[in-house]
Amino acid sequence: MNAVIDTSATVPARLEGEFKTLLAKTFSSEPEWLKEKRKAAFDSFCKASLPTRKNEEYKYTDVKKVFSGEFTSVYNEAHKLSLDFEKLFVEKNSVKLIFVNGWLHKDSTLSAKLPKGVIVGNLATDGLLIHSGFLKKYLRNDGDTLSRLNAALWTDGAFIYIPENVQLETPIEILHISTGKKEILASFRHLIVAGKNSSVSVIENNISVDLHSHVIVNFHTDIFSGEDSKIQFYRLQNDCKMVSQITSINVLQEKNSRFDTNTITLGRAWARNNLNIALNGENCESHLNGLFITNGNDHVDNHTFIRHNKPNCRSNQLYKGILDGRSTGIFNGKIFVERDAQKTNAYQSSKNILLSDAAAINTKPQLEIYADDVKCSHGSTTGQLNEEAMFYLRSRGLSEDSARNLLLFAFAGDVIEKIQNEPLKIYLEELISQRLRK
Amino acid sequence: MLSIKNLRAGIPGNEILKGINLEVKAGEVHAIMGPNGSGKSTLSSVLAGKENYQVTEGEIWFSPPSPRGEGSGMRRKNLLEMSPEERAREGVFLAFQYPVEIPGVSNINFLKTAINEIRLHRKQPPMETKDFLKLIKEKQALVELQGTLANRSVNEGFSGGEKKRNEIFQMAVLEPTLCILDETDSGLDIDALRIVANGVNKLRSKDRAFVVITHYQRLLDHIIPDFVHVLSNGKIIKSGGKELALELEAKGYDWIKEKDQT
Amino acid sequence: MAEKNDILEKQISSDYKYGFTSDIDMDTAPMGLSEDIVRFISKKKNEPEWMLEFRLKAYRHWLKMEEPHEWAHLEYPKINYQNIIFYAAPKQKKELASLDEVDPELLKTFEKLGISLEEQKRLSGVQSTIAVDAVIDSVSVKTTFKEVLAEKGIIFCSFSEAVQEHPELIKKYMGSVVPYSDNYFAALNSAVFTDGSFCYIPKGVRCPMELSTYFRINTAGTGQFERTLIVADEGAYVSYLEGCTAPRRDENQLHAAVVEIVAHKNGEVKYSTVQNWYPGDKNGKGGIYNFVTKRGICREENSKISWTQVETGSAITWKYPSVILKGDNSVGEFYSVAVTNNHQQADTGTKMLHIGKNTRSTIVSKGISAGCSNNAYRGLVRVAKGAKNARNFSQCDSLLMGDKCGAHTFPYIEIKDKTAVVEHEATTSKIGEDQLFYCQQRGIDKEKAIGLIVNGYCREVFNQLPMEFAVEAQKLLAVSLEGSVG
Repeated sequence: MNAVIDTSATVPARLEGEFKTLLAKTFSSEPEWLKEKRKAAFDSFCKASLPTRKNEEYKYTDVKKVFSGEFTSVYNEAHKLSLDFEKLFVEKNSVKLIFVNGWLHKDSTLSAKLPKGVIVGNLATDGLLIHSGFLKKYLRNDGDTLSRLNAALWTDGAFIYIPENVQLETPIEILHISTGKKEILASFRHLIVAGKNSSVSVIENNISVDLHSHVIVNFHTDIFSGEDSKIQFYRLQNDCKMVSQITSINVLQEKNSRFDTNTITLGRAWARNNLNIALNGENCESHLNGLFITNGNDHVDNHTFIRHNKPNCRSNQLYKGILDGRSTGIFNGKIFVERDAQKTNAYQSSKNILLSDAAAINTKPQLEIYADDVKCSHGSTTGQLNEEAMFYLRSRGLSEDSARNLLLFAFAGDVIEKIQNEPLKIYLEELISQRLRK
Repeated sequence: MLSIKNLRAGIPGNEILKGINLEVKAGEVHAIMGPNGSGKSTLSSVLAGKENYQVTEGEIWFSPPSPRGEGSGMRRKNLLEMSPEERAREGVFLAFQYPVEIPGVSNINFLKTAINEIRLHRKQPPMETKDFLKLIKEKQALVELQGTLANRSVNEGFSGGEKKRNEIFQMAVLEPTLCILDETDSGLDIDALRIVANGVNKLRSKDRAFVVITHYQRLLDHIIPDFVHVLSNGKIIKSGGKELALELEAKGYDWIKEKDQT
Repeated sequence: MAEKNDILEKQISSDYKYGFTSDIDMDTAPMGLSEDIVRFISKKKNEPEWMLEFRLKAYRHWLKMEEPHEWAHLEYPKINYQNIIFYAAPKQKKELASLDEVDPELLKTFEKLGISLEEQKRLSGVQSTIAVDAVIDSVSVKTTFKEVLAEKGIIFCSFSEAVQEHPELIKKYMGSVVPYSDNYFAALNSAVFTDGSFCYIPKGVRCPMELSTYFRINTAGTGQFERTLIVADEGAYVSYLEGCTAPRRDENQLHAAVVEIVAHKNGEVKYSTVQNWYPGDKNGKGGIYNFVTKRGICREENSKISWTQVETGSAITWKYPSVILKGDNSVGEFYSVAVTNNHQQADTGTKMLHIGKNTRSTIVSKGISAGCSNNAYRGLVRVAKGAKNARNFSQCDSLLMGDKCGAHTFPYIEIKDKTAVVEHEATTSKIGEDQLFYCQQRGIDKEKAIGLIVNGYCREVFNQLPMEFAVEAQKLLAVSLEGSVG
């Protein structure tokens, strides 16, 4: 594992040796079908290689730069973590999964009382050892080239299954920690399957702790939302100093299902977040919300793609950005309406505030529509804080700073309002007001 | 002029009109009153030919007086077989409860197109622009509409009152024989109500009939009906003279519904 | 629904009015493209050495480039450039002394198109006059009102003539807005362009009439590569119109034009296009590939460039009339109606590049898709660092008529200055059923009602057009949409 890394070689060439080592060692005990799947994914990644900025989807985000260091992907060592976990979780009674650099951590508390048939565990053990057949059915190699890299290299992640007619009241919280001294590529993967008429709420928090080197987290999540199911997935990217996160969530929704997601990125981050939603049944509903508050050299790129494949579905997107320092924000959202998807109702809104002269925002809200009886629209605005509102507040005695913070908090509040988990809302409001005070 | 026989209609899976019978003669004003959800607006939509509604049973006959005095009754038309524009050209006018906004299309262009289509139908030559403008000016005064309104886009940015007055103005210009007023009083303040009612009263004539659909009696203080019908649950449950409206106002719809049940 | 389809069927066969061909004696280059052809064109036009150099540089650069196929929402086969005739000109006996010497067949062609080349006729009776530069295939055949304009110091002539008569102006401005290396089709045009219009409005002059160029492709197998250059000097103003048609042919013909506009301090240029190239038949056979680079620069303060386009023709439209807002307080506008029917494809929009301070731009785009067509708006609004107080408002609406077409919106918004206020709105819908019913209730039939509603929907853009053009545009819209009631 101490091979000299030739950083001038292409990323596929650099990873080839490591992939072989992983297959021979870490993945050696895995079932054949999975190894084949990994190989196919790796081949397909090699063929495509990393996306360049010529690729329309990566026009504003340079992935090559992220992969330019001397990283290794073959890496797993025990870490001693002295953390105040209480502060990192939203709820006392939730089911808690902790991962470190893509591997399950022993402090995870999975023993919470769960209804019969519910599985909350990790992919590497609970998944592969106990439910291998189930995984065979649900693990996929699709997605863009980075998702395929993940499909080849993933080490672990959450495995959640909610059977038919089960409403899981307890939220599931996933904490992912990047730490250590080595420059690594961590490949991390979740699988969430919700059966017919079930519901589940997942909160994922990403942080870096005691990190002394650049870490790339390549993160893929597959979500299967059965008929009449309700899934909430909240992703928090907070305090991720020195971490580059590439995340993608692929969601398949069946009829009458509802999917809600919020991606909250609170700075010190380089993040590229992909959300791919396929509305594969009638009368589905999807709500995609995002908030990013950036500073310094942060770079946050949110990509959404909603595919309306069936009639009578509704989708709604609200993304807001507050950008300071030399940070860059990107919102690229596409609403795609298939020929058959009549009576689609799709809305998308991107609103941004630039606080500094060096900050930049690029937005690309897109509509691609092939059905005529639809209502689709998008709006994008970029501007500053409302001067009249500032003046009004100051005339009531507020200082310039607190007036500004109050207005920014209200601006961000629209996204937080969409969250349906009350404790999380309170938790985030506190984090955001701290963040804005900085 | 209008003869509705056992009319049953609704949207697929939901029958709203459950056997309506109504006879309207030229020169008469019929008020149709009823609580919310009784089917009042469905009736007006079906008369005008809105495609969303399905007629499952019954007949609607329309016999407009012939333009050149060839005697009424000779031109009995089956309304249900006609497209909305054919009905309009034959003289059926619906004053919408919610007049539709059409951005970018000026009121004047809209009316000119409509009037000439109707004239074409009557085998009359298109109206000269000069005459048309004269007509517009004359009819605008009838509902006290501002001159500039004619140049604005159809109903776009109009206040509720302006929209309703615009409906009556269009009615005056197009000179229909059967005028259906669908909740024309809703959303009007007392002054606008008076203006609208005055406009309607001036259009009353022996050749023209009105069907006034309303929830409240107050419009009928201004437009005095010859007959009042009470619509409830898709049927006309009581008919009478104008005094019926006052009785309804005083006792409410429940009174008549209870009576109906006994 | 059945009834709607009947109307659709009945009308879809409506014809392209300008599809006739004219039998004009033509002088053409051998088919294909090579350095020799570039030299041939330059020689035909008796060009000075510097012009040939420019062409050769462009040609050599073009050889290194690739035809764009990835990003635009268009599908077309790779074009075989060896199958195109790059030069075709009506044969003429030297200089024309008067209109009488023009080939009568040619005059007839323009008459059929409704374009009068006879100044007298135009002058009498008609209130507003239009000076016309008529371009057929590769060359300009006649420019009207030259003398009247010359009195004010306005230069309005064919591009070829300008190269001969005003080399200093051409050298100064040609390629200054769209460099030959700009993109694949601009490079191709720079190498092989054959003619076009040149227009220069001197300091402080308000051009007294609309200037117009009428483009006509006639010869089979030709491409049309024209170049237009418009310069408004300090405080000058001009309104410029462009119209285009082509005969109905089964093969696709390439049109790759370049338009450059320069507006100096307080200068203003209004550029209007009614593009009606042959769109192909109802099965998508034939039609013009319209790959056009149009760009203007507001070079100094308080200048203004306004693009208005009504795009109804062409099998494929690929064009993004843009404005570089370099001067402080400069203004850029883009008003567009793009209609696609049958198998037409359009990927069109604009770029507004805010560089100076207090610059403003407005974008209004109305897309209408019918038949099996695809219609995309693609636009960029970029606010550079230091472009203080930039303002942009964009409104992009799409209307779908029928369930076999597509309507797409791809805006790019890039902002690097915190004082910018940029707003973008887009909607996609079909004609409201309630609007249709309302019109019908007033006695207007469905077809007419749709015409009314669609015209209303486009009104904001039509309002920007000069009177004569607006009327033509409305008629054209009706013709283009015939048969698309759905």
